[in-house]
Order: sequence, then C-alpha cells, then structure tokens
Amino acid sequence: MSRAVHGMSAAIAAFGLALAGAAGAVTDVAPDRGVDANGQLENHALQTRFERITYQLRCLVCQNESIADSNADLAVDLRRQVRQMLVDGKSDAAIFDFMTDRYGEFVRFSPPLEPKTLLIWGAPFIMLLLGGLIVFRVVRHRSRMPLDDGPATGP
Amino acid sequence: MWKFLLPFAAFVALVVLFAFGLNPGRDIHALPSPLIGKAAPAFELTDVLDAARPVSNSGLQGQVYVLNVWATWCVPCREEHDALLAIARQHLVPIIGLNWKDQRERAKQWLEQLGNPYQAVAFDGDGRAAIDWGVYGAPETYLVDRQGRVIFKFISPMTQQVWDKEFVPRIAAARGGGA
Repeated sequence: MSRAVHGMSAAIAAFGLALAGAAGAVTDVAPDRGVDANGQLENHALQTRFERITYQLRCLVCQNESIADSNADLAVDLRRQVRQMLVDGKSDAAIFDFMTDRYGEFVRFSPPLEPKTLLIWGAPFIMLLLGGLIVFRVVRHRSRMPLDDGPATGP
Repeated sequence: MWKFLLPFAAFVALVVLFAFGLNPGRDIHALPSPLIGKAAPAFELTDVLDAARPVSNSGLQGQVYVLNVWATWCVPCREEHDALLAIARQHLVPIIGLNWKDQRERAKQWLEQLGNPYQAVAFDGDGRAAIDWGVYGAPETYLVDRQGRVIFKFISPMTQQVWDKEFVPRIAAARGGGA
C-alpha cells in the first residue's frame, strides 16, 4: 500500500517536474515576430490567411485533423512555421510548397489538380455520367414497353 | 452476351480493387518521404553534450551517414536504444543524432545513463531542423549517401533485423556506386 502511494507521489512529482520543464522550455523560445499576446497575428489580413491555410494542412500525427485543429506538438510547430512565413511575406503557394516538399502531397487536404490527381477530381463526374447513362437506358427501355392501363379484365 | 459480361467485368474489377485495398501487408499509414533522392536538408545546431560545440551535416559530405531522430519523451526511442548501441559498435557508418524538441539536461542524462551510440548529437530544441527533414514522429532514421542525398527513411524503432535487412545493403550499394 505505502509502496503504491509512494509510487503515486513520485509520479505526481515527475508530472510536476515535466510541467515545470515544459514551462521552462516555453520561456526559452524567443517570442514570435508579428504576433500579439493572444497568439494572433497583428495584421488581420495575415491572420485570415493563416486560418485558411492551416485548415488546409493535415496534421501528420493525428491524420484526420488539420494543423489548425490539432493540439499535437508538431501542429503547434507547423502553425508557428506558417505564421512566420506569412510575416516574412511568403505567398500561400510558397507555404504549401514548403509543406509538400517536406511532408509530401499528403499534408494537403485538397490535392492540387494535376495529371496524377485527375482521377480523384474526375471520379464524381465519371460516377454522375455512369449513373445518368443507366437511368437513360432504363427509362428508354420502359418507355418502349406496352402500356398496360387498358380496361381491367375482371375475374 | 452483355448480360453476362458486364457483371463479370464488374466482379473482376472489384476483386482487383479489394486485392489491393484489403491487402494485410499494406500499411495504410505508411507515408513515402518526399525527401528520398533529394539533398539532405542542412542544419547548423549545437551539440547536446556541449552547447558551445556546433554540429552541422555539411561536414559529412562525401560519406554515407545515418541520422537518427530521437527524444527522451519518446518511449519507442528508449526501445531502440540498445539496438542503436549495438549497431554503433559495428562502426559501419557514423550515426548522427537529432535530439528533437527535448531538454538538453534530460538528453544529456539519457546518454550518460544508457550509453551514447552517436558520433554527434545535434540539439533541435524548437524542432525547426526536424520540420526541414519532414519528421513527424520519433524515432525516425534516415540514410544519406556520399552525394548528400537522402536515400532511405525508416519510421519506427530501429532493430538489428531492420538494420541488417534495410540499411546494410543500401549502405553497401551507396559505397559501391558512389566510389
């Protein structure tokens, strides 16, 4: 029993240490340029672009979240990276290129329209075309069937 | 004729799709690194063990080396540590460490207590170098050839088996081809 309690207090102490360490690590990092006390970019136009871009980038640690939504460490780092690139005057395309060069096409939630992504973008239209074709054939087939709403033949 | 052929073609198409999609050997989370075949990103950092000592990968041009990304908060890194120590003892290639988003003191303590398989360990406290390498989960191990190109990336704890199977032949090929 006392062993367990001892283990627990040790765990709590370790957790406290970890927190203190994390706090220490945060103060080690120089404050980001162009960012206000709430972590928002001072320039509102940049903040709007920042939000749009980070919603379109996948967090690779938690693959179905965007880096705007995720609390993973890597997402925090990538948000900071996007912020700094915006402050440095980089274009949206340059930021997406930066990310795909490092993490691959997979970081983008909406893949760019290229020859190799043609099937992804074209699939909905192909499906629509196929469905339309089937409906057309069925309707034509049925319209050629004889009408059977003639006088009812009683029993 | 069509009544038979069309469903049969659809069936064959589904079989092919499922054979690929449901193949248990295929890891749907595997992400090919876009870095393969490209120049290894340069970093200029300091050594974990000595903040005054610079560590960069520009000095490694011309030799095959391994970059291992690790951190003390990373549990699987602890798991692979003994394998790394054993691999380092073979002195096949220099192993460079990239200590990712860690604390210097803890990293130092880790290396002192568990042993140090690295020729040098770069301290990447804010994770910027790791972003350049496309790191998204430690441990990750990269193989760089003599021309400074990344030729292989392995995500997961290193083991002797993986080393012998995936790394050793590639190192031999990189040396043979680049000589």
